Amino acid sequence: MAFKKDTVVGTMIFTIILCLSCSFMITGTAEVLKERKLAKKRDELKRYVLMAADVDISGDKDFRQIFEKSVTPLLVELDTGVVDTEANVLDFDDRMAAINPETSSKPKKDTAKIRSRADKARAFKVFDDNGQLHAVVLPIYGKGLWSMIYGYVAVKPDFNTIENVVFYEHGETPGIGDFLNDTEWTDKFKGKQLFDEKGKVSFKVVKGGAKAGDVHGVDAVSGATMTGRGVQRAVQFWFGSEGFETFLHKLKASEV
Amino acid sequence: MSKSMTATRDILTSPIFANNPVAMQVLGVCSALAVSNSMQTALVMTLAVTFVLVFSNLIISTIRNFIPNSVRIIAQMTVIASLVIIVDMILQDVAYELSRQLSVFVGLIITNCIIMGRAEAYAMKMPPHLAVVDALGNAMGYGVILLGVAFVRELLGSGTLFGHEIFATIENGGWYLANEMFKLPPSAFFLIGLMIWAINVIQRKRG
Repeated sequence: MAFKKDTVVGTMIFTIILCLSCSFMITGTAEVLKERKLAKKRDELKRYVLMAADVDISGDKDFRQIFEKSVTPLLVELDTGVVDTEANVLDFDDRMAAINPETSSKPKKDTAKIRSRADKARAFKVFDDNGQLHAVVLPIYGKGLWSMIYGYVAVKPDFNTIENVVFYEHGETPGIGDFLNDTEWTDKFKGKQLFDEKGKVSFKVVKGGAKAGDVHGVDAVSGATMTGRGVQRAVQFWFGSEGFETFLHKLKASEV
Repeated sequence: MSKSMTATRDILTSPIFANNPVAMQVLGVCSALAVSNSMQTALVMTLAVTFVLVFSNLIISTIRNFIPNSVRIIAQMTVIASLVIIVDMILQDVAYELSRQLSVFVGLIITNCIIMGRAEAYAMKMPPHLAVVDALGNAMGYGVILLGVAFVRELLGSGTLFGHEIFATIENGGWYLANEMFKLPPSAFFLIGLMIWAINVIQRKRG
């Protein structure tokens, strides 16, 4: 039977075949590029963790080697603080885990407005050249004005003082929210303390500027009230009882 | 030289100046305005358009006898859109920073009238090898305009070419005061207008 292209059946057959072959073309390309994309994602993760821990990766130092040598990635069960030793931490898809109802739950007090929180989260122990613990890098995120702000906070071995922070992804107002990526601003986090004497998270982004000697406060940026508040709440949530608090207690008691 | 060879060469060269898609048919101007502020983006955009144009013409010309008349535009769009998605994925993999600069304009290749126009006007009627030649010619025509405009805009707008300093700007302690207007899209309008004028004058002189 000859193919009659201008009949209804012919049109249907043609359309279906064309759509199928086009979709195969696209998925084929995606499949080919997938491995490279994963590798790139891993590299990005390594670079940001090292940046957050204030490890020097400038120049032609190979950050992959440094990461391999000095960082121990962990997968932490947030509610219990237990470390999952068998997981492939670098390829753990935190975004997927946070929206999948089977691996996430609704936070009781959703101060960071993240809606659902993954049961597990990554944590990174960073060691210095002598094998001493240099910092613990923890991922945080929370809603600013328009978007989720993603970042890493590195905590010193006293599990209270901030070593450094990095915000690596946000969709805040262009121009106004750009200070998140500005080291001049993130440098203000260095040496600030997360918890007060009672162990409550008292880190703040202070409007009008933190007073001299304020160990918990970081200057807010004018015109970006909501962005600053988002950062403050993200830190408060992720270091609070529904975040890494249990894990940090365990670290302090050197149980992990 | 045989007659068919001359004809083929004509298909390749005529879209570069005589029948330039941007200058003579005024197609695809939107992207030409947007991405022509530096040589690098213009070059990458030209390569992306060349890839899409060549393969869309090839595929459509190959299957032209099977495309039902009633869905031919949709069929062309499907092929073009798939190719654009592939280009976008490859670009994001190879040159992530550049793909961010080109942002939405890679995706907008789908609606670039040059590609639709060549698919509908040429590839639907002609055998594949001629369609590919035609696609190459038109892509070059697009590239000539884009790179020409980008050359002037980057040189006068920032004093650089492909990011290398040609004129030392005052900001960097040189003598050249960069003309900010050339960084903005309207300057491309003037430049394309001047190019259309020049091409027309030359064409008329040739007769």
